[in-house]
Amino acid sequence: MTEDALFDGLRVVELADDPAGEMLGKLLSQMGATVLKVEPPQGAQSRHVGPWAGGVADTEASLAFWFYNPGKASLVIDLDSESGRRQLHDEAVQADVFISTAQPARCSDLGLDFSALTRESPSTIFASVTPFGLSGPRADYAGSDLVCLATSGLLITSGYDDHDIPPIAPGGGQAFHTAATFGYLGVLLALLQRQATGIGGLVDVAMHDACAVTTELASMYWEYPKVVVQRQTCRHAQPSPTAPATFLCADGRYVYFVLILAETKFWLALVNWLDEHGLAADLREEQYSDYSHRQKMFPHIQGLLEAFFSLLDGADAYNEGQRHGLPVGILNAPEDLLDDPHLTARSFFTPTNHDGVDLLFPGPPYRFSTIPSPPPTAAPHLGDSTVSRGSATTRSA
Amino acid sequence: MTDFSWVGVGPLATRLLADFGAEVIKVEDVKELDRVRRLPIYKDGGSRTYGDEDAAPDPNRSGMFNNYSRNKLGVTLNMRLASGRAVAERLIASSDVVAENFAAGVLERWGLTAERIRELRPDIITCRMTGYGQTGPEASYRSYGPVVQAVSGLSHISGLPGREPSGIGLSYMDNLAAYYNSAAIMMALYRRNITGVGTDIDTSAIEVGINLLGPILLDVQAGRGPTRRPDFPAGNMAEFSRVAPHGVYPAQGEDCWIAISVRTDSEWRQLVGVMGDDSLVTNPAFQTMEDRYRNHEELDEVVGAWTRHFDATQLMTRLQAHGVPAGAVQTAQDVFDRDPQTHARQVMFSLDHPVIGTARFESAPIRGGAVEPDHWRSAPLLGEDNDYVFRGILGMSNDEYEALIGEGAIIQAANAASGAV
Repeated sequence: MTEDALFDGLRVVELADDPAGEMLGKLLSQMGATVLKVEPPQGAQSRHVGPWAGGVADTEASLAFWFYNPGKASLVIDLDSESGRRQLHDEAVQADVFISTAQPARCSDLGLDFSALTRESPSTIFASVTPFGLSGPRADYAGSDLVCLATSGLLITSGYDDHDIPPIAPGGGQAFHTAATFGYLGVLLALLQRQATGIGGLVDVAMHDACAVTTELASMYWEYPKVVVQRQTCRHAQPSPTAPATFLCADGRYVYFVLILAETKFWLALVNWLDEHGLAADLREEQYSDYSHRQKMFPHIQGLLEAFFSLLDGADAYNEGQRHGLPVGILNAPEDLLDDPHLTARSFFTPTNHDGVDLLFPGPPYRFSTIPSPPPTAAPHLGDSTVSRGSATTRSA
Repeated sequence: MTDFSWVGVGPLATRLLADFGAEVIKVEDVKELDRVRRLPIYKDGGSRTYGDEDAAPDPNRSGMFNNYSRNKLGVTLNMRLASGRAVAERLIASSDVVAENFAAGVLERWGLTAERIRELRPDIITCRMTGYGQTGPEASYRSYGPVVQAVSGLSHISGLPGREPSGIGLSYMDNLAAYYNSAAIMMALYRRNITGVGTDIDTSAIEVGINLLGPILLDVQAGRGPTRRPDFPAGNMAEFSRVAPHGVYPAQGEDCWIAISVRTDSEWRQLVGVMGDDSLVTNPAFQTMEDRYRNHEELDEVVGAWTRHFDATQLMTRLQAHGVPAGAVQTAQDVFDRDPQTHARQVMFSLDHPVIGTARFESAPIRGGAVEPDHWRSAPLLGEDNDYVFRGILGMSNDEYEALIGEGAIIQAANAASGAV
């Protein structure tokens, strides 16, 4: 069945010099929107950041640029010139969605006045994604992934048991990604409203805000019992210390597993699994059927588990545990995912070619039975203003 | 929306739609409570960890449930009875969206196959949220946030080189998977508004997580190669830029820190100016950005020896006044109670709850005015809206409603709230 992509015909203009704005553009491009990426003559910031295909710095070989900009077109505009700023303005008001990562002071420099723009083009959705938002006393604070993770309350919850070591940021650029995600949610809400009213408007998302609402237990433990949670190695920050949850396996890999003693079903599954390896020790004894006894024996059980996992390879611990109905997770490295049988069976990765470099790209983060997503195509060369697309196919669930 | 979802991902996903006006009907089982109703995050709960549950908890006291299910309607159905399932089918027939995040197969055991759901409502949108997706050899694997973080690679890429991964200290992927499920439901509605056709959504949290790995996913294929090497992961250094100083430095007070990320020569000169340490300008180890990157351990010592004398917030203010990217490492307490930015943008809002009292909630952080939320209530008590939903929305007669209560298909609110069945 050939069907139009979800955002077929939607025109997006993206003025983004960080991954938050670029990822928002990618989420729209991925489902078929035409995304024009505005770049300065020397190319977008992400072209100047590695890592590099082939390991050599080259603005046409940035893997960061390739990751965040597949399927977009590149529109070079010199924003240092009056005519360039006029062109940007014209592109913005003609767009269905205009994405901007400019903070307020930069907006002034560029002549981007969102209240004037929304009056001039009421149907356009202006999506601003910035470190601290367009309003408030810190709106023009210089941000970065690390800085916004820090101010949001997310950073302090991650790191090691040893608090002489500072909090350690989650990898991958999660303040950018969380903000891009809320930018996308804001655009979707506005698109739904526009279907009903024809009116767009301003969507103002901050990395700081987006992460501040994403701290989970930290927020709730502060709001309810007024406790500040304490970070622990590779597991939830909690009001008081809990047992380690990462176990080193025989082959040097780690698995994640939290010993849950309260649920009898899980307890029996665990004991059966250990017993299969002849390592259930005393855990089959009658007194362990009592939850309070299990609680009392927690350190003993945790010690047995450490020994048990140290005898298994990571993949075996993961798959055997899961087959026993236990939520064991293996700590995969990115390179482990590319030939993962489950992901392969789901055709999650799609081969693409960037300037002769073969790469597997991840599929979209959702699948629809009746909405196709076009296969990913290469990110544009600087100034390449045509959007290239493969034919849209339905990725069935 | 008929919402069968529970625990983390599902309720958070449907919450966003409830915030913005969707009529979300949360269907609950009294015998197997939503785990979040059991978690002992209570106003007077003290320092209990979230695993430290009461044997028979009050289902209406949990702060986390209040947080996750605000703006929703709550009903209690016994899905073990055919008559309970029949009521659920009537809810589905009157809904635009069905949402669930059970292990693959649970809905089918209730007879609610994709075909049956579509029979009940031909243009329905069904959102199925799992860790691994509905298909594939590991579709039945169990997961929650930290397991998803492990399997998708996010834990491995977080930490200091030469140590075990530090991962992410929360169920980050419960949040992010939820956000993408909210997105998917809205995408399906956007489509249906054009075509009149519904859709089945299959979202795998692990596949969401892999999308969040960022450029490292291409780096392992075409750049620096596999990550199991001595200089990986980057810790608090910039992941791909050779810049320094870039890290988290001690500030005055116990476990107080400040993040500084200098990415340009001009930011470096501004930092040195605030530090007032001219020796840094002449030190041959710190002349170029590449010098500072290669000698960052020495540089981090120097910067940390300076920052430790200052209050993190005051130092952030000073550094930011000079254009240096710096952020106090704030706790949730700071963010809720002290942060003027969070306050000015009303990131948190309050609602009253009949058992819990007034509490603050994290809003959907979408400002600007294009769309506005409607925060009309805190989370429903267990079974609180049975009458409104079954008699009001479904139009049941008194006799029918009472009969369904009598046979235990609908659990009456008063009984439900006290846990009696």
